[in-house]
Amino acid sequence: MKNKILVAVLFGGIGMTNEPVIIKGTKEGITIVVEENSNFEDVKKVIYEKLQNSGNFFAGAKVFVKAKNGNLKEDEFNKLQEILTNFGMSLQEAQSPKTLIFPKPNRSRVLILKKTIRSGQKISYRGTVVILGDANPGSEIVATGDILVLGTLRGMAHAGAAGDTTAIVAAYRLRPTQLRIADVISRPPEDKEESPPFPEVARLKDNIIVIEPYNALK
Amino acid sequence: MGEVIVITSGKGGVGKTTTTANLGTGLALYGKKKVVMVDADIGLRNLDVVMGLENRIVYDLVDVANGMCRMKQALIKDKRFDNLYLMPAAQTKDKTAVTPEQMKKLCDDLKKDYDYILIDSPAGIERGFKNAIAGADKAIIVTTPEVSAVRDADRIVGLLEASGFEEPKLVINRLRPDMVKRGDMMDIDDMIDILAIELLGVVPEDEKIVVSTNRGEPAVADETSRAGKAYRNMVSRILGEDVPLMPMENFEPSFIDKLRMFFGLKVRTR
Ligand SMILES: Nc1ncnc2c1ncn2[C@@H]1O[C@H](COP(=O)(O)OP(=O)(O)O)[C@@H](O)[C@H]1O
Ligand SMILES: [Mg+2]
Repeated sequence: MKNKILVAVLFGGIGMTNEPVIIKGTKEGITIVVEENSNFEDVKKVIYEKLQNSGNFFAGAKVFVKAKNGNLKEDEFNKLQEILTNFGMSLQEAQSPKTLIFPKPNRSRVLILKKTIRSGQKISYRGTVVILGDANPGSEIVATGDILVLGTLRGMAHAGAAGDTTAIVAAYRLRPTQLRIADVISRPPEDKEESPPFPEVARLKDNIIVIEPYNALK
Repeated sequence: MGEVIVITSGKGGVGKTTTTANLGTGLALYGKKKVVMVDADIGLRNLDVVMGLENRIVYDLVDVANGMCRMKQALIKDKRFDNLYLMPAAQTKDKTAVTPEQMKKLCDDLKKDYDYILIDSPAGIERGFKNAIAGADKAIIVTTPEVSAVRDADRIVGLLEASGFEEPKLVINRLRPDMVKRGDMMDIDDMIDILAIELLGVVPEDEKIVVSTNRGEPAVADETSRAGKAYRNMVSRILGEDVPLMPMENFEPSFIDKLRMFFGLKVRTR
């Protein structure tokens, strides 16, 4: 469903003629198709402007870049990657033969925030997010890597937002309104039993989010 | 130089206007301070009604901001209390009738003549809120013990922090100790746990507030009102005194002790 929105946003107001790049929302994520014989500076500019206009709407999205005829040089692709990274998107390994292959996003990047994340506040980051404080109901944390909250996590947390199924969400007190890992979404059970008074970790097992005491990590 | 304090909440109907009227009156009456209360709820003014001063309005905040009158012409002196003034809001205009810059200027001007300038903020996080906080040095956030009100208060704390307010203070209004005890109402600990800001005071649910609001006589001046007592304590805290949280009969002592500790006070072993 999200992909439909992507297409609508991207194509709204775009004249279909002579665009050096076309950005498409697909089931896997976003595909950027670079047209034959287009000038790289134009390509860069158009991609930048489109992403700029969409705010951080695409943060965490997987991106595939296809160059028709493969006419982009490696350093040009690197520049594109840089732009995408700045918008919180990650380049994916592509399956199509005409597509260059890029490394997976770097998970060693860490954002450490020493504060309470309050209702209405959103943290989006390409990498791992560590909160030294609470994340309150109505807040959102989206990370392509892991999410670690050293206080109480009461808001929404989305780890592995670019598709990393090995990402985890850990909290000193895990009381989220909703958890997401990669593209799996879970809510806490309706019957609110007493939440355990110890740190917990959420991770994907067989495509289901399971929550375990932090000790189980060892 | 005076201090500008905005009283705000996010959610409507939680007691901003009641709190502004009572703290303003209390600071003038008990603190002997020169106080002006500014109604920033343009279009939905009612601080004047709560103060019983409605029939004396000639000019209002919008007139002052737009240079239609002098500051002094719009200020209404409350004859019952020395040193207490009201700057009414306009009722026939909306929040866009003044800009945050104009509000800042107005506050800066008032600061020269008054010790405390209390701004009664409208509900919401839009223009009216931005106007209300524009000239403020400090903020008081009012919430009731309801999940939705606390959620909105949290949003407001976030916005205030982002605007550079350092330590907003919390007022919990309409607490019903009996309900808390039964587990039917959020308790003070739950709220402070989430909001992580310092408590200025807790006002119990009190019928006298309704009566005093209708009569235009702030409860803070009524020695027999429990809510009035809570407001008097808050006034003392604003003036820098260490006043323990009002013991509410139905709270266990350990709870009061926790609050005392929260204020950095010694727990009495009595
Ligand atoms: N502690 C209280 N006990 C009983 N009623 C209260 C109390 N505080 C406020 N009220 C009532 O709640 C209503 C809303 O209060 P008000 O101060 O106008 O809220 P706001 O300015 O935030 O919209 C008023 O009718 C008021 O009399
Ligand atoms: Mg009001």
